[in-house]
Amino acid sequence: MSAQPFTTPVEDSVPKTNDELAIGENLDFQRKWWRFERIIWIFFAVILLCDLLGLFGRGWLAKAERSTPDNGLILKYERIERASTPSIMTLDFGPAAIQGGRIQVFVSNSIVMPLGAQRIAPQPQQSSVGNGGITYTFAATQSPAAVQIALEPSFPGLHSFRVQVVGRQPIDANIFVVP
Amino acid sequence: MATIIHAVLGYFVLIIVVRVLKRRAGSQMTLFEFVLVFLMGGIIILSTVGNDRSVTNCTCAVIAVGLMHRSVSWAKSKSPRIGAVLDGTPLAVIKQGEWQPEIMNGMKLRREDIEAAGRSAGVTKPEDIDYAVLERNGRISVFPKD
Repeated sequence: MSAQPFTTPVEDSVPKTNDELAIGENLDFQRKWWRFERIIWIFFAVILLCDLLGLFGRGWLAKAERSTPDNGLILKYERIERASTPSIMTLDFGPAAIQGGRIQVFVSNSIVMPLGAQRIAPQPQQSSVGNGGITYTFAATQSPAAVQIALEPSFPGLHSFRVQVVGRQPIDANIFVVP
Repeated sequence: MATIIHAVLGYFVLIIVVRVLKRRAGSQMTLFEFVLVFLMGGIIILSTVGNDRSVTNCTCAVIAVGLMHRSVSWAKSKSPRIGAVLDGTPLAVIKQGEWQPEIMNGMKLRREDIEAAGRSAGVTKPEDIDYAVLERNGRISVFPKD
């Protein structure tokens, strides 16, 4: 046990106000803080506005649509998605995509892994892997025809993907996933 | 890994938002402010644990928040500046019997708040208050005139 006595005197640790009461008031700091508060509330308002517009996904700015020149494939998706949040990617097929009563569509592996494809509707007749992706075959009668892929991205970041009706021009696009 | 990052981010987001909500979230709490604290806490929990509700994940999140809190407390004890940023400084809303409108307006306080604190301190009339200090924890200390 230490034999050293307690020697620190008890006294005011903060400045006195009007030489009477030791409050430790710091009005200069407080005025700066009020200015900071005004700025940060504007910043918070901008964040909410960006969210309403869809800059963080699930809104007007997030929605995207791409198509091939022959309109054989029209892709509707969200260019900005949120991690672990479901969304739907829709593939609308035009007459040029239907060949011999079926549609063959290739999707790159990135749709499955980082972008987290959960299910595809309707179920394809056949699916085969290769060339860095999956080729689905659907029975089809005539246009309009659509396939939906439910996505639930696991990893934040920018992810590129490709969707292509076999034998036609591909659509290459990016999806940015926010945390 | 993600849970720990989410817990640390959630801790700082809550600290910033509660800190800029003026000095009433913790003390002088009315039902109105209870709604705020429970709602914000509940929302942050959702993003912290995500879909993984295992004991392991929740334990890691609790430990991460505890560690953050201890680190911030240590930083506050070492630096008065950090303490002032996180907790604010005491402010005199009545000085030598005079209201301080700049503080009252800046802190969004009402005279009724100070008068209520005066009654708690046994001062029945506001004009008998010499000093009223809004403390860092949100309480109002009242010093009556001699």
